[in-house]
Amino acid sequence: MTGEAAAGRLWRRWAAPSQPSGLYLLCWFLGTVLLAFLVIPLVALALTQSGASLAGVARMADVRDAITLSLECAFLSAAVAALAGVPLAYGLARTAFPGKGVIAALVDLPLAVPHTVAGIALLMVFGRQGFFGEPLQTVGLKFWGTVAGVVIAMLFVSAPYTVNAARIGFEAVDPRLEKIARTLGLGPWRTFFRVTLPLARRSIMTGVTLTYARSISEFGAVIILVYYPMTAPVKIYELFLRFGLEQSAAAAVLLLIVSLSLFIALRTLAQRGGPIRENR
Amino acid sequence: MKAAVAVEALTLALGGFQLKKIDFAVSRGEILVILGPNGSGKSVTLETIAGFHRPASGRVLIGGRDLTALPPERRNIGFVVQNFGLFPHLTVAQNVAIARRRHQTAAPRDAALPAFGDDAALLAYFGIAHLASRAPADLSPGEKQRVALARALAGAPDLFLFDEPFSALDAQTHDQLRDELKEFLRALAIPAIFVTHDRSDAYALADTVAVLRDGTIVQAGAAVEIFEKPASAFVARFVGVENVLSGHIIETSQNGLSIEVGRQVLHAAMPAKTLPAGSAVFVAIRAEDAAVCSPHLGGQPTPKANRLEGCVTGFRSEGALITLSIDCGFRLKAYLLGPQVRALNLEIGSMIAVEIAPDKIHPMAE
Repeated sequence: MTGEAAAGRLWRRWAAPSQPSGLYLLCWFLGTVLLAFLVIPLVALALTQSGASLAGVARMADVRDAITLSLECAFLSAAVAALAGVPLAYGLARTAFPGKGVIAALVDLPLAVPHTVAGIALLMVFGRQGFFGEPLQTVGLKFWGTVAGVVIAMLFVSAPYTVNAARIGFEAVDPRLEKIARTLGLGPWRTFFRVTLPLARRSIMTGVTLTYARSISEFGAVIILVYYPMTAPVKIYELFLRFGLEQSAAAAVLLLIVSLSLFIALRTLAQRGGPIRENR
Repeated sequence: MKAAVAVEALTLALGGFQLKKIDFAVSRGEILVILGPNGSGKSVTLETIAGFHRPASGRVLIGGRDLTALPPERRNIGFVVQNFGLFPHLTVAQNVAIARRRHQTAAPRDAALPAFGDDAALLAYFGIAHLASRAPADLSPGEKQRVALARALAGAPDLFLFDEPFSALDAQTHDQLRDELKEFLRALAIPAIFVTHDRSDAYALADTVAVLRDGTIVQAGAAVEIFEKPASAFVARFVGVENVLSGHIIETSQNGLSIEVGRQVLHAAMPAKTLPAGSAVFVAIRAEDAAVCSPHLGGQPTPKANRLEGCVTGFRSEGALITLSIDCGFRLKAYLLGPQVRALNLEIGSMIAVEIAPDKIHPMAE
């Protein structure tokens, strides 16, 4: 393929409709405004920092620890969301029962709850005298001031992304393909792992990536349930209170760079191999 | 001959839908077509045979073995669905290889057929070895059908089920793939059940036909019998009998029946089932059995035939075949070929005569 042809194709993709209508122009105009609103603050923030100031903040052990803790806890949160959320998504996608809509709404509930409220609610249940907190304490699992608490707070606010994305992915898998697999001698488990799961993989990975990203960015629920150990957003807040905008901005940009590059890497990984082309 | 596959008194309730005492048998190498409108329970019947629904009562037997309690993966049934249902995330070779070998040693009866356990031989048999590493999305419908058959065959099935595999195809491809499927099924000699709402599939494929309506088999038998002697107005219309007329019997005699239809009296041969004089009936007459008479078309008048005269009220053209609507005391449809219509100079309002032999008039109880 010549470069010219490729450029031509790219142009056609952008200029999709053959006749630019008013609707098309309006969509692009409004879309551009929104994109600018989303990107410009982050770019402006990044531009305030020199390489030297970033290097300086990266040498601070407490900042490094906070970022590492955020990444680790978000990973655990995403892993738990995947382990428990994917089966729930499959159940919601493949079974019909009265009250299914209620369960689907419950899954979305955390998205509608202010995160400080989520933190307080979690504290009530996972705190010293809480419904889960008290009995689990006897087996040595504490949620205040621990990594477990951070993971719980992150999980609460971010699990819906995995469940919803995986559910959409499973719903898009033609049930007849599963039936054919069964007639070919594959039991229900093999059918799930060889047919259903691979076909829903991209949606699930997208959901898990969103859960991961949302977990890293969580502040409200985490700070209420566990102040220490500090995750990166909590650390940045503390720096802001103690040293002001300048110190906190450097740490903020460092976190931004780390989390964005991870997010992009994960997204790329999730979409690897391109979409499975529909066999219609 | 002992039936290879038997479905006995299968009854099932699924949501608001019911299958009522479904019974049929398929012999080795035979194709049964289950014909019925959408929502009649065709797919549910197939899925119950495949093991996806548990019947309330009744049995599914293959080679005398009762499968009713077995899960789908242990039934040895090949299942082909609309668009053939290839796994889009797997290559052609992987699609075939995913089948679990239940009978490693299973060899086809016929030496001309490939060993079911040998993927390469299967692909070669269906002429798709060169497609082994292709993705299903890149295949033509014909290639997909061959992959689907190879994949189903890899599981060494005792029975093939086809759930309207052609219903999304254009007419030409549809006909082509159907002919090809029939050849493969004849060669493989594995019994097959094919469900469709398209009567042309039944004409082209069926050895036996079962007509399904609202979860009940309303007529079953040899394909010829269903097409020629439909037992009810529903079946007659569904298998494409152009003339399904209501009338009533005015006289019965040893020679047959006299049936008043519209302003005419038709003489029909004695049906297998006796119908009393005075009873209301439906009369099925295939359009090809209503012979337009004219010196131009040759042929001798048949002495005992019903001879009707009427006027042409309409034409419907399907390529070479023209369906005439004739008002001869009732509305009758008859076929002519395009050149015949031109030779007879027929137009709307032309008067013509039509002959119908008494044994081509099929009365059935209303």
